[in-house]
Amino acid sequence: MKTMAHVLVIDDEPQMQRALRTILGAHNYRVSTAPSGEEGLALAAAEKPDVIILDLSLPDMDGIEVCTQLRQWTQIPIIILSVRSDEGDKIKALDQGADDYLVKPFGTGELLARLRVAQRHLAKSQGEPDTVIVSGDLTIDLTRHIVTRAGIEVKLTATEYRLLAYLAGHANRVLTHPHILEHVWGPEYRDDVEYLRVFMSQLRKKLEAQPKKPVHILSEPGIGYRFITDA
Amino acid sequence: MRLFFLPDSSNRSRFLHDRLLGFALALVIVSLVTAALLLLREELNTSTVALLYLIPVLVSTTMWGLWPGVFSAFAAFLAYNYFFLPPYYTFIVHENQDIIALLILLVVAVFNSQLVARARSGQAAAVTRERETTLLYELSLDLARAGSPAEIAAVLARKSSDMVRAAHLEVSIGPMYGEQSFRLSIPENNPPDKTPDAVIPLETVRASVGEIRMWLNVPPLTPGQERLLRAYAAQGTLALERMALAHTETRAQVLEESDRLKSALLSSVTHELRTPLATIKASTTSLISDEIPWKAPARHDLLSVIDEETDYLNYLVGNLLDMSRIEAGALKPKRHWNILSEIIDGVLVRLHRMLSGFTVDMHIPDDLPVVPVDYSQMEQVFVNLLTNAAKYAPQGSTIQIEANLRDENTALVSVKNEGPQVKPDHLDRIFDKFYRITEPEKVSGTGLGLSICKGIVEAHGGRIWAENVPSGLAFRFTIPLRLDGNPPPQIEAEDL
Repeated sequence: MKTMAHVLVIDDEPQMQRALRTILGAHNYRVSTAPSGEEGLALAAAEKPDVIILDLSLPDMDGIEVCTQLRQWTQIPIIILSVRSDEGDKIKALDQGADDYLVKPFGTGELLARLRVAQRHLAKSQGEPDTVIVSGDLTIDLTRHIVTRAGIEVKLTATEYRLLAYLAGHANRVLTHPHILEHVWGPEYRDDVEYLRVFMSQLRKKLEAQPKKPVHILSEPGIGYRFITDA
Repeated sequence: MRLFFLPDSSNRSRFLHDRLLGFALALVIVSLVTAALLLLREELNTSTVALLYLIPVLVSTTMWGLWPGVFSAFAAFLAYNYFFLPPYYTFIVHENQDIIALLILLVVAVFNSQLVARARSGQAAAVTRERETTLLYELSLDLARAGSPAEIAAVLARKSSDMVRAAHLEVSIGPMYGEQSFRLSIPENNPPDKTPDAVIPLETVRASVGEIRMWLNVPPLTPGQERLLRAYAAQGTLALERMALAHTETRAQVLEESDRLKSALLSSVTHELRTPLATIKASTTSLISDEIPWKAPARHDLLSVIDEETDYLNYLVGNLLDMSRIEAGALKPKRHWNILSEIIDGVLVRLHRMLSGFTVDMHIPDDLPVVPVDYSQMEQVFVNLLTNAAKYAPQGSTIQIEANLRDENTALVSVKNEGPQVKPDHLDRIFDKFYRITEPEKVSGTGLGLSICKGIVEAHGGRIWAENVPSGLAFRFTIPLRLDGNPPPQIEAEDL
């Protein structure tokens, strides 16, 4: 059997540390905890964990700063913990290289799903990237630029395709609005969320069985979008 | 009304003219009396003539003052001596009693002139006082109408300049009750480059609050002007003080009200937070306890209760945070162009468990333009309106969500439920904090949901209201469709 995945939790709340230790331990993760940013950075360097769970409000330093410092030397997946209505901070942290985020309070199911995505992402970044991405009845062939839904080709405009390809290429990760706009439309469109909204709505009409209840591309309210692939 | 004219050169010559006229008329009247008495000289004895000479002296002093009176006394004496004392037509005085006649005439002139002068000056003073009272009354009327220190200063400046013709007049009031200190000048230019001729302070018992400064054409102020100006200043200061007191009282009322709201909030919050906590505590202690071996379905039930209650607690805390942001004025929407239906779809997914017992009907035209809103805040408005609907409307009923253009600058959104209607006079109040239609025991909630909706909608520049509709209650709100003055962007559809 594969060795147990190692998770580093950087959070100053003793009860949160205790709960995560118990829950993750029960799901076969090895857990280390650090109560401050400094200790977290030191532990990350010493133990080289597989995934880091990082709380944005730490007693000694800004969580975004921890994120930036980690990214200077490692690509270890980072999952951010934060509270609702800190959308600005979440976007900053994601743009600083964090992979995903969870809003406190969160359910165990969500936490485990995020951890699995992070691990898969890590595994993938070390091997060859997928050229064919599958999400339910949807298949995106990134080399041949063909999108099919239930075996039938879906006609997309150039921008719709670029948008979908970009999301699918970073499947299961949260991509922030400014980030997507910059990469699909160009840096000068960073703040023009309306483009994204309109094209996303068109894209969903073509891809989703129920555009109002999307299953392929999920909205992260106020943050961005996430393309979901089959596990 | 200008009352106090400074004597200028034309006035002075007129004054002299009046005086000379008095002397001339005194002479005329003495002459007339002398002529009349001459006709009767043979029938009158000298003492009667002397007595009758009192008439011109009395008339002269009464009409023209002391000196014309004295002058007439001398004139009368000389005429009496010349025409009526033998030997006639000489000025020789033969008997001491004739000197006494002259003295009596003089004493009468002096005494009478003083009596008349006293009566006159008494009358003049009465007139002046009456005019001052009228002026002060008009001032106090104007001051009572003034609503701010600036208006008080304007009234003072206008009334002072009506009273004294000054080259330049300036009213300055120090900083008061959050208002900046300021100056008001008549005319509206810089004051002359020299020290003012008169400075009347506006002072309360505690401190000086301002000044009236004057540069005069002909300094200094007359005592009357100065007295009246000081009365103006006192009235102005009183008006300022009255305003300060009213201001303090309003502040005190606001503080008291905010205190009252805070304690209402605390009691409501503790009650509301405790209810889910009690359920959670009961469920977890049951599960921890070894006394009963819980069967799987029962365990699941208890755990679901805990799960739902923690979600509810989280919703409450979120609302409290939003409320405190609205109260602190810190709720600044980060407005971007968003698709309204996308926001609502997200909320419906999030609330699917709570709304499972309802039919949700959504009618939003496809061509509704993008709306400039803060995504999370607009989500919160729908979460609160739908939570409210789920709380009051009967299970199995329909919740209708509609949006359309009211005009080219405004979108109108309604969320209708089939819950109980609200008495017309309470339709506004349901947006007040802690207001509940029903008894607090029957329905849970902090009573903050709708007031948060109001806070958010208004922060977006819109308006929210409730309306009774045939099937129940409708909440409607407007969203202005302008972002930094720009209309919703038209994004061109792309060709395949």
